[in-house]
Amino acid sequence: MGNSSWRISRSRGRAHLPLAVVAVLAVVLILFGKVQSSMFDRARTNLADWMSPALSATRTPMQVAGRWLASIGDFFWVYQENMRLKEENARLKQWHNSALVLDERLKRYQLLLHAVPDPTMSSVVARVIGRANHSSLQTMILDAGKSSGVKPGQAVIDQRGMIGRIYLTGERTSWVILLTDLNSRIPVSIEPNNDQAIMAGDNSPMPVIETLAHGVQLKADAQVVTSGDGDILPAGIPIGVIVPDRGTYRIALFADQTTAQDVEIVDFKLKPEQPPLVTQQELPVTAAGLPPVVPPPQGTGVAPQPVMALPPPVFKPLVQQPGAPVKPGALPADNLDTDVPNAGNQ
Amino acid sequence: MERLGGFFHSRHFANAMPVLFGLVGVVITNLPFSLFGGWIPSPMYALMPVYYWCLVRPDLMSPGWVLLIGLGHDVFSGEPIGVWAASFVVTYAVIDKQRDAFAGLSGWGAILGFATAALIACATNYTITSLYFWKLMAVGGSIREFAVTSVLYVVVLPLLSFTHRKVVGPLRSEF
Repeated sequence: MGNSSWRISRSRGRAHLPLAVVAVLAVVLILFGKVQSSMFDRARTNLADWMSPALSATRTPMQVAGRWLASIGDFFWVYQENMRLKEENARLKQWHNSALVLDERLKRYQLLLHAVPDPTMSSVVARVIGRANHSSLQTMILDAGKSSGVKPGQAVIDQRGMIGRIYLTGERTSWVILLTDLNSRIPVSIEPNNDQAIMAGDNSPMPVIETLAHGVQLKADAQVVTSGDGDILPAGIPIGVIVPDRGTYRIALFADQTTAQDVEIVDFKLKPEQPPLVTQQELPVTAAGLPPVVPPPQGTGVAPQPVMALPPPVFKPLVQQPGAPVKPGALPADNLDTDVPNAGNQ
Repeated sequence: MERLGGFFHSRHFANAMPVLFGLVGVVITNLPFSLFGGWIPSPMYALMPVYYWCLVRPDLMSPGWVLLIGLGHDVFSGEPIGVWAASFVVTYAVIDKQRDAFAGLSGWGAILGFATAALIACATNYTITSLYFWKLMAVGGSIREFAVTSVLYVVVLPLLSFTHRKVVGPLRSEF
C-alpha cells in the first residue's frame, strides 16, 4: 500500500522548521484567528464573491445529482408518501380556511381598537449556491450580498420556517449560520404559555433549548417561534416543535436546511422612530400670540427624554403571487457591519 | 517503475507534488456542494496526502507544509482559523513518532493506519473546537467525518501510490 515498494525516507532535511516550532505556530495561529477574525472573514467573502459565477453555473447539475441520489430511497415509498401528502393536503386546506377567517377577524378587531399596525418588512429572495457541511461548521452560501442590501444578522427563512441568520456578507454573496450550527443562539418563545428560552445549536440536527425558566415543563410538539427579544429578530417566525430528549428539550426544525434552494432574507432591523418636527404654529406659546421661547444653549438645558422603544415587529409570511416581481431589499441605512459574530470570534 | 518524462521529470515539480495534492484536497473538501442531502460531511481529502507522504517522503511533507495545508483548510471551510492547522500538526507529530509502526503496515493494515490518523485528526479537532467555544459539540458529525474519510482513503490511495511511483519517487540519497 504505497509504502511497500519504496524505501521509507527518514530525513526531513535541514531547511525545515522543527515540529515543536510548528506546533507553537499553530497555537499562535488559533489565538490570532480568535482576535483578528475580521481579516480572515474578509478573505472568505472575497473568495466566495470571486467564485460565485462558477458556483451558480455548477449549481444546477449538482442540484440534480444531489436530488437524484437523495431520491433513490424514496422511490420505494412513493405510494405511501403520496397517500400521506394527500391526507396532509386536505388537513392543511381546512387550516387555510380557518386562517383566512381568523385573519379577517383580527383585522376587524384591530380596526375597532385603533391598534398600531404591524410594521411591514422587506425581504430579498436569494438562491443557495453552496453548502458546507463540516463536523464543526454548518453553513450555506447565498447569491445575494451587500449589493442587494443584505446585512449581517438578518433572518433567513424558507416557506416552512427559519433556517438561520446571515453572518458574513460580500458584495454578491452572503454566508448563513444555520440554526443547527454550534454558534447559533436564538431567543425563542414556546407556545402555548409563551415560555421564553434560548435555542442553541450544537451541530446536531436538532438544536437544544437552553436558559429555560426553572420548573417550566414543556410538552412534546409545542410550537417554537422567535420571541423578538432584543430586537434581534422579528417575533413569530416559526422554527419547529419541542421534542423531549433525556431530560432536555430539543427542537425538530420545520425548515429543511439540507434541501432548501430558494430562501428569503428578511430585513427586520427596526428603525429608531423619529418624532415629527414641531412647527411654529403648533407650539402653544405661538398659538397664544406670544413670541417663541429661545432654546437654551447646548449643555445647560434639560436632557432630552428618551424615545419609548417600539415593540419588535411581528413576522408575517410574505404571500408572493406567481410571476410577481420580487420586492427589492429596501433596507435601513444603518452602518452595521457585523451583527452576528462569526465562528471565529465567539 | 518507469518515471514520467518531460515536465513531469522536473525535480521541482515532483517535489511540489505532495503539497499540491494537499492543497487540491483542501479545495475539493471545501467545494460548497453537498451530495447525499448534506447527511454525510465532506471527507478530509487533504489529510490523505499528508499521511501518505509523511510516511514515504517526510522531506517533501514537512511540518511547515502541513501547517499551511491545515491553514488553507481553515480559510476555505469557514471554521475558526488555526483549528484544523493544529489538528493536522498533532496528527503529523503522532505519525512522525510512530513512523516505523505505520510504515510497516500493508494491505488493509495500511487503511487501518490511515483510519488511526484520521481518528487522531478528528478527535483533536473536536477537542480544540470544544475548548475554543467552551461548549461540548455533538460528536456525531466528527464520527461521520472520520468514517467517510477512512472509507474514501481506499479510493484515493491508488492515485497517491501511482503519483508517488511515476512522479515523486524516493529520496535520491536512499538509492
